[in-house]
Parts: sequence; C-alpha cells; structure tokens
Amino acid sequence: MQVFLEKLVYFLPLLFGIGFVAPLTAEIVRAWSLPLPTGFAPLAAGLLLGVVWGGIATWKRRWL
Amino acid sequence: MEEALAVSVILPDADTLRSLGSQELMKLEGEIARTHMGGVPWLAVAWGLGNFVVWLSLWPLVLGGYVPLWIAFPIATINLMLCYLPSHEAQHDIIARPGDMLRWLNQLVGHVSTIPLVMPYQLLRLTHLEHHKHTNDAELDPDIHTKAADAWTFLFNSIVNRQPGGASNVNYGNTLQRIGTQDAKAAMALGLAYQLAYLAILFAVSWSGYAIEAALLWWLPRHIAITYIGFFLSWAPHFPGIETGRYRDTRGFRSQLGNIGSMGMQYHIVHHLHPRIPLTRTPRAYWDLRPVLEARGCDLENL
Repeated sequence: MQVFLEKLVYFLPLLFGIGFVAPLTAEIVRAWSLPLPTGFAPLAAGLLLGVVWGGIATWKRRWL
Repeated sequence: MEEALAVSVILPDADTLRSLGSQELMKLEGEIARTHMGGVPWLAVAWGLGNFVVWLSLWPLVLGGYVPLWIAFPIATINLMLCYLPSHEAQHDIIARPGDMLRWLNQLVGHVSTIPLVMPYQLLRLTHLEHHKHTNDAELDPDIHTKAADAWTFLFNSIVNRQPGGASNVNYGNTLQRIGTQDAKAAMALGLAYQLAYLAILFAVSWSGYAIEAALLWWLPRHIAITYIGFFLSWAPHFPGIETGRYRDTRGFRSQLGNIGSMGMQYHIVHHLHPRIPLTRTPRAYWDLRPVLEARGCDLENL
C-alpha cells in the first residue's frame, strides 16, 4: 500500500496535467475561440499540453 | 474590558517597568493578559462555519447559472483567505477547552473551516503548535520556509515552495515524523487523503465540463489564499526571522492594509506570548501590554 501511495504521489503532477490542465485548456480554447491547427480538437490540444507539462513537472519536480 | 482599561491606566512607562525584576514583569504581563481571555468567541464560530457555507453554496449557484463566475470568483477568493483563522482559534482551544461543554463546537470549527484549503485540522494543529514551540528555529520551525529578506522574495519563495518537491510539504512531513506519535501519523495520512480527495473532485468536475468554474472557485482562490495567509500570518509577524526567544521571535508591525486587511496580524506578537487570547481581543491586549513589551525589548516597529 505504501509503495503504491509513493508511486501515486510521485506521478501526481502528470495526473494533474491530464485531470485538470487538459480539460481547463480545452475549455479556455473554446471560450476564447483560440486558433488551433486544422483538425486539432480543443481537448486534444489540452491533453497534449497537460501530458507534456505534467510529464516535465513529474520529472523536474516543479511546474515553473 | 473595563478591568483591562484600568490596568493600562495605572501601568507605568517602559523605563520604569525595566527596573522591575523579570519575575515581577512576567507576573504583571500574565495579569494583564488574563483580563483578555475567557468566554466563547462567537464571531470566530460564525466566521468559520458561515464562511464555509458561503463558499460551498457558490458551487450550485454558479453551476446552476444563478450567479455569474466573475462575481463568484472574488467571493470564493475572500472565502479561502478567511478559511484559516477560525481553525487557528480552535487549534489553541480558544473556543472551548478539552472537557468543556462546547468542546464539540471547538472541534467542529477547527475541522470544517479549513476544508476549502485542503488542510486537515489535526495536521494544522500539530504543526502549528510546533511552530509556537520553535519559532524561527531553522531546523524545527515547520513554517521556516516562509522566511524571506523582503516581501517580493517571500512571494517568489511561496511559489517555489508549492512545487511538487517544495519545502512546505517537506517541512510539515518532517515535523510530523519528528513528533512521531500515532496522532502525527494519522494526521499525515489524513493530509494525503485530503490531497487525493481534492484532486479527485477537481478532476471529476473539470472532466464534466466545468474546468473553468473549478479553477476559479477553488484552485486559483486556494493559491491566492495560501500566499496571503503565508504573508500575513507567517512572514510579516516573524520578519526578519533570525531571532528566537519569547520576546524576539515575533514582532508588532503596522500593515498598509490595516488591521482588518492584515487579519489582525499586526498584533500577532500578543498571540505568540499568550495564545489563548482570542483574535478579536489581541489589539486591545496589545495596547494594554505595550509598556511591558517595550520593557522586554520587543520589536514593535511603528505600531
């Protein structure tokens, strides 16, 4: 259980990227009609940002 | 109140008080402080429970379309900024002491008021009492990470400390480990449970199509509030944070935001000397105690 929780805590930034950054980005893109490359859905853009940013935050242990 | 006023009228100035022995000065300080203790601080009770209810009610009101988000966001931010102090009163058993008839109310306010901050009462209580015992101690004060050379450095550090590997989580975790009791272990587990529950709710609400609402009702107000609370409750009253000792680890200061804008923290020195004086009575207690504090060599800046 402790090992699972330690892994979970370690990967929380990545989960935050997928769970919060992704849908938030998608909603902001839609709300402000931000331009995206043709065929690129807002949620795909959100997931891309969330996974990449959250992944880097997991690796570096910082968001900024 | 009248008794406290009477004490202040007959109190000699700081120079005269300096000639008293330490024991006598301590006795006088205790007598003055005791006139400001006792009774149930009902304002703190109403503040803690009412503030939580207002914040909670914003969710159905915003998601149901009854209140626009641009109005709810500043309200939520104020709610989060106001979260901590009622719990702080409970942490010091000010609302009711163990064994008192209203003890349940003390614990209720303590637990409920900080839920939006995602900080469990047990964790805050244990670490805060350690802060009182070891204020400004570089190794033992769990809030030492708020120490900074100036306000801008505090702001920068505050952001850095909140990163995944930041000092705030590490310091609180280390403090609980050092305490090492069953209560401390339970508080650490509860702290993790709170974090996971917060994230689960944030993710669920966001993936249900309300990510902007979740960001502006909880995530962003929480970050603003943590900065504000850290500034006024920790950085400003303990600045410069280099001295330890009863009369030197906390200071009196005049805030540009006034007493209400700084949540009464101008008089935080009174709280560290006599933690059972309710928040709303610390300004009066400060003015009554001021000659004693001056005689003790406290840093009272321009207050």
